[in-house]
Amino acid sequence: MRNLFILFLFLTTTLSYGYGQVKTITGTVKDSQSLIGLPGVTISKSDGTGSQTDAAGQFSIDVSPTDSLTFRFIGYTQQTVTVGDQEVLDVFLISEDQALEEVVVIGYGTANKNDLTAPVTDVDVESLTKRTTANPMQALQGSVSGVQVVTTGAPGSSPTVRIRGVGSLNNENPLYVVDGMFVDNIDFLNSNDIENMSILKDASGAAIYGVRAANGVVIITTKKGKMNMRTRVNYEGYVGFQSSVNMLRMANGEEYAAMQLAKRTRGDSLYVINSIEQFGGNGLVPRSNTDWYGELLRNNAPMHSHSLDIMGGTEKINYSFGANLLDQEGIMDAQNNYKRYNLRFQMEAQAFDWLKLGFTAHLNNSTLFSPDNGAFMLAYYASPLYPVRDPDNVNAYPENFASSTSIGYNNGVFNNPVAQAHYNYDRTKAFQVLPSVYADVNIWGDKLKFRTQLSQRLASHHKYDYTPEYYVDNTQRSQLSKLTSVQDRYTNYIWDNLLTYTDQVDDHNWSVLLGHSVREDRWRKTQASADDIPANEESWYVNLGTRSITGYEEAGTRNAGLSYFARGTYDYRKTYLLTATFRADGSSKYQTKWGYFPSVGLGWVLTNEKFLQGQDFLNFLKLRGSWGKLGNDGINANAGYAQLNIGNDYSGIFGSIGPGAGSYIPGYTIETQYTNVGWEVVEEWDFGLDFTMANERLKGSVDYFHRLTHGLAFNRTRALRGGTLYGNFGDVANSGFEFNLNWSDRLGDFGYRIGGNLTTLKNEVKDLGGIAYLMGGQTTRPVRTEVGKPLNYFYGYEVIGIYQNQEQIDNDPITAGEDGIKPGYFIYKDQNGDGILDENDRTDIGSYLPKITYGFNMGFDYKNFDLSIVFQGQAGNKILNQNRAARSQFSMMNGDAEFVTSLWNGEGSTNKYPSAEATTNGYNFQASSFWVESGSYLRIQNIQLGYNFNIGKDDKQTRFRVFATADRPAIFTNYSGFTPEVTGDGVAGLGYDLSIYPVSATYSLGIRVSY
Amino acid sequence: MKKYINIALFSSLILFGSCSKDFLDRPMENTAPAETVDYTDLSLMYQPVSGVYRTASKGAPGFIHWIDVAMRAVRGDDLDKGSTESDQSGLDEIKRFRNNASVQAFWGLNNCWTDYYGVAFFANEALLELDKFAEHIPAGDETNRALNNRYKAEVRFIRAFAHLIVSRVFGDVPILVDNAVINEVEKSTVEQVRQFIIDEMNESADALEDAIPRNAQHVGSVTKYSALLLKAKAASDIAKNDNGSPYWDIVLDATEQIIASNKLRLYDDFYELFKMPGKMSTESLYEMQYSDFGNSSGTDVRPAEFFAFQGPSGNQQGSPVAGWGFMKPSQKIIDFLTERGDDIRLKTTVLYAGANPSTFVETSSGDKVYGNTNGQIHFNGKAYLPANQMTPGRTAYGSDNNVRVFRYSDALLLNAEAKIRKGQNGDAPLNIVRERVDLNPITGATLTDVLDERRAEFACEWWGERYNDLLRTGMAETVLADYGFTSAAQYLPVPQIQKDLNPNLQ
Repeated sequence: MRNLFILFLFLTTTLSYGYGQVKTITGTVKDSQSLIGLPGVTISKSDGTGSQTDAAGQFSIDVSPTDSLTFRFIGYTQQTVTVGDQEVLDVFLISEDQALEEVVVIGYGTANKNDLTAPVTDVDVESLTKRTTANPMQALQGSVSGVQVVTTGAPGSSPTVRIRGVGSLNNENPLYVVDGMFVDNIDFLNSNDIENMSILKDASGAAIYGVRAANGVVIITTKKGKMNMRTRVNYEGYVGFQSSVNMLRMANGEEYAAMQLAKRTRGDSLYVINSIEQFGGNGLVPRSNTDWYGELLRNNAPMHSHSLDIMGGTEKINYSFGANLLDQEGIMDAQNNYKRYNLRFQMEAQAFDWLKLGFTAHLNNSTLFSPDNGAFMLAYYASPLYPVRDPDNVNAYPENFASSTSIGYNNGVFNNPVAQAHYNYDRTKAFQVLPSVYADVNIWGDKLKFRTQLSQRLASHHKYDYTPEYYVDNTQRSQLSKLTSVQDRYTNYIWDNLLTYTDQVDDHNWSVLLGHSVREDRWRKTQASADDIPANEESWYVNLGTRSITGYEEAGTRNAGLSYFARGTYDYRKTYLLTATFRADGSSKYQTKWGYFPSVGLGWVLTNEKFLQGQDFLNFLKLRGSWGKLGNDGINANAGYAQLNIGNDYSGIFGSIGPGAGSYIPGYTIETQYTNVGWEVVEEWDFGLDFTMANERLKGSVDYFHRLTHGLAFNRTRALRGGTLYGNFGDVANSGFEFNLNWSDRLGDFGYRIGGNLTTLKNEVKDLGGIAYLMGGQTTRPVRTEVGKPLNYFYGYEVIGIYQNQEQIDNDPITAGEDGIKPGYFIYKDQNGDGILDENDRTDIGSYLPKITYGFNMGFDYKNFDLSIVFQGQAGNKILNQNRAARSQFSMMNGDAEFVTSLWNGEGSTNKYPSAEATTNGYNFQASSFWVESGSYLRIQNIQLGYNFNIGKDDKQTRFRVFATADRPAIFTNYSGFTPEVTGDGVAGLGYDLSIYPVSATYSLGIRVSY
Repeated sequence: MKKYINIALFSSLILFGSCSKDFLDRPMENTAPAETVDYTDLSLMYQPVSGVYRTASKGAPGFIHWIDVAMRAVRGDDLDKGSTESDQSGLDEIKRFRNNASVQAFWGLNNCWTDYYGVAFFANEALLELDKFAEHIPAGDETNRALNNRYKAEVRFIRAFAHLIVSRVFGDVPILVDNAVINEVEKSTVEQVRQFIIDEMNESADALEDAIPRNAQHVGSVTKYSALLLKAKAASDIAKNDNGSPYWDIVLDATEQIIASNKLRLYDDFYELFKMPGKMSTESLYEMQYSDFGNSSGTDVRPAEFFAFQGPSGNQQGSPVAGWGFMKPSQKIIDFLTERGDDIRLKTTVLYAGANPSTFVETSSGDKVYGNTNGQIHFNGKAYLPANQMTPGRTAYGSDNNVRVFRYSDALLLNAEAKIRKGQNGDAPLNIVRERVDLNPITGATLTDVLDERRAEFACEWWGERYNDLLRTGMAETVLADYGFTSAAQYLPVPQIQKDLNPNLQ
């Protein structure tokens, strides 16, 4: 008996020695992403005792094998590890921010990134805030593959965003969903307000948005508090200066005079002679040398912005509050600036266990003084041969601006640009509220949930445009002051109801979402104008002037939509993934009321398979494919019936017997040419690969997409009577590859990352409903659409050189019968070799769609410093330099210096540019490849240098960051216009460069404080 | 329990959202569907006609766009382009009969084609509207039926005039009477177009009001005599120089009817005929009417830049009598008028300016016209509206003035020509025209006398009358020789874009 007891004791002690024996283990605790050791991490054992990591993140602790250690550190998700056999323990803690990164916002919900079957880009919001742009979409330029952002220069202007090429000639912009509300642009948001931005690029991701989704969807959630969160305060502000970059130099006085004299006509030389007589000069070189753009632009226009946000949460309530202010001066030296301030408030409360209520409101207020952009166009045309002001122009009042008629110009396009910019007052005050309320109900535990959300948009803009009484010359004058007052009101709402069921059995996980959505958008504009308004601003009301019989107008639209949608997801062991969605959309805009948009996506996570286990080359590899249909209702709403044109503008004047005045007899005309327009339907296939390699350092994805747009809606020129007719006329396909690659690594204190994206695009028209081809764009330099070629390619002659001498002209068969052709004229290619130059020799001279768009970025950090550089560019697109081609109507206009000084002036001088005299002859202004230039460019989009430091200790640290940024500092391009980014309404959207607003670079200094 | 409340709540929301059927089904905002016209209300019957008059008096579409005016008139030897050499130099190419690539590329070419056919398009729609009104005229209501026919006739006049103008510029052109075939319509010859006009006027003339436009029910609308004049003009284009042509009978008959009505009289003062006092005179047979309503500010219904583009260029020191300097009277017409002692017409046709920007010429109406740096001293006098005739406060050149199209003197001169060609005595009508401008009457007038009188009477006007006269009388070859006239280039080419859109126009 006693022996047994001793044996028992012996065994237990030996055994407990084996299992319960205390040992010392060591290890390091690191951040899972940056791989830096984390100091001060609390390590606690199950008995409550513990230790901490040292400055290098290393620790040493005595444990028994049955112990489990819990690692806690502020801002990181805690981890518990069972010690077991291990002697050395390396723990990677995931920061809470990164844990969130794994969750991606998708349509009507969130999903784990690895479970997606669609290419959803989760935008790094951190890099967004680095850019000093007023609009968050502008800040995205170049960072996301497949997304092309084209900006104009003016303050307060929205960029054009194209996702995966141009599938539509109408609204190209994606759908923006901000906290559940559908909006057309996100001008009102400040980048600092954004918590999360996801871009749904392809059908299976975006199809859940149905008829609005064809151009892609950008989902934005603004910052929210979290339950049980210590109050956090964040301030960010910057001050910057903008100045024009890559300015086009216009010809100066001497160069312009030389061009005019070279034309050898009396009329052209007279401008030079008159200028010398009036403003001085030497021989045939005038002294007057006005740089109109220089006069119009102001250097170092200031810009500053401040944002403050506070968020926090208790057990039952969380909240977030934000305020920001932006003040941006424009670069035109006249009244133009943009001021905006936003307030944002969000609150969520857990009313009952099963009910959560939330409320969000954005309030923004802005004042925009718009410059008269016509002044820039005038500056392009204006002759340098007269000064800005002229005391001899005695009739001019209130300012003595010079008039171009004094040296012989007599058309409105030669008006004084500085005067035009000066006599302009155009102010818009806008006010917008976006309130949203929602309720989240847990019907059955965690499985069945219901959410209802009502979001609204209420906006009101008031614009007044005042032209004072002034006189410069006969054509540039306003006898009476004029006021136009415009009021726009927007009231939109959207009401979503979502029912979600999530469940799992063993390794099978699935969820079902059922949704219902109702929305209505209303816009109404009321406009009144009157003449002879008093000069002080307080009197700018139209009833204080002379009423104009036609000085009023109203316009408005109402669009309503009703949708039912469903999504099902299924995965087995997170390895085999399936997503299917379906949406039925009803829209009031078109004659076809209902559209149906299904999609399906499949995914296969190869690294979860057995055959890829145990290797450490590939950390993650997923293959995915999807198909879906989306609709685009950004097409003009269509009446679908003949319309009356009524009112005074369509009424004839009768009774005009001398010397009396006539009066109206009411009349109308009927516009009977119309089409039944429906939305465009995009059908898309996508195949992709996502991978992470080399120890999480290399991440990337490759996608191939093919999008076919059915029923492309655009304007076709009408036969005989001119004008255009809008309708669904064709099918077009966009296809291409998207590549995304990112590498990040650390070498001790030095960390670096390099990333890039590239998208290739091939655009081809597939069907035109039996029509052989369609012409569009401008009538003299048109674009053409036909099956098998890109949409709206430029169509004209190919220029192969310049006639250097008369003999060359005589030997060329195509000049037979044209006695006006002289040396210095373009040589057009006789494409079909028949010896005649006619319409059959016109050919494809380029497309405005880029073949590749790309961006790449580099980031470095060393101790507390960090530097990032972002590049962006595109290649393969052509631009029709309409500014240069405008010379066909006004051959005496000024031009860019490169053109004016390179003109042909003798045999052998150039084989590219025509002679000065040639620029007065219509023969050289036919649609040709001379006017169509390459629009490829590479731009340094952003450079930011920052320094981070912390003040205070441990939990209550205040983090500081000081940074300097250069935005758009340089662009490399061969294009001879102001900017190769050509966008806008009408023909500008087809690649015709009519832009004259110079692009500016911003240099700024800022600070961010987080507590 | 709460679970069931939730489910009930959810289902009711779904039902609520989908129950309103016309949520999606409403007409578009801010449009007036054509169906809203009440065709039973016959008092509205003139409205489509008024709409067509207004369309015709506009620029795009319409008849008075400045480039269209320049393109149809510049080929006559009475007008030079004006302004500086390089300003709209395409017009000089057109004047020199070079139908080359440069002319093909000229922006004005397609512009004027679409402007004229736009008028024809809207005229066709107005006729369909009038048909809809006609369906609601009760049987036996002859008054309204006659009105309906009269209104249709007015629209047909304007449509026929559009075809006359477009064919004078482009030659063989399509006749557009059915908008449904606008994309396929084929070309008709010059003769077919003129015959179409004659046929249209035959059907319209008697339905139109038997009054002169000045005294018409809607003052200024076209009437029977306007239609007869248009018919005579079309017939004279077909008859050409063939004195034995039956078309000269048509001309004679139509002009005889106009004269025999005794309702028209030439306006006494040729100089004021084109200015405010001469608006919608007893001589007018068709005029584009405009108005500033007698107010110093506010709406001003004007023919766009029609007057401005003909106004004197250069710094006019704030005077409203200013413009771009186009449509300059040629040295030939000035010499012609001077040689025949036609002082009144010379004073009316030519507006003289100073030799340089600091000198001026004062007109007989008291305006000082300063010179310009280009050295152009002659400007179009028929577009001149004196400042003292303008409504006080208005500064736009030509504000409140009308644009004259057809006049009684045209009927008189065609009558004289037809008579002479048929071997009759044409002195009486010719001398009425001559006496108005204080010229001595002629006895035993010859064809040359009549044609010279036409040249003087219609010098520098805006409808291409001089060029058309030279073409139809076969004089173009000699008179326009120094401009390089060839009969192959007598018409401008059909714009390329139109051939692209409708291959039947090749």
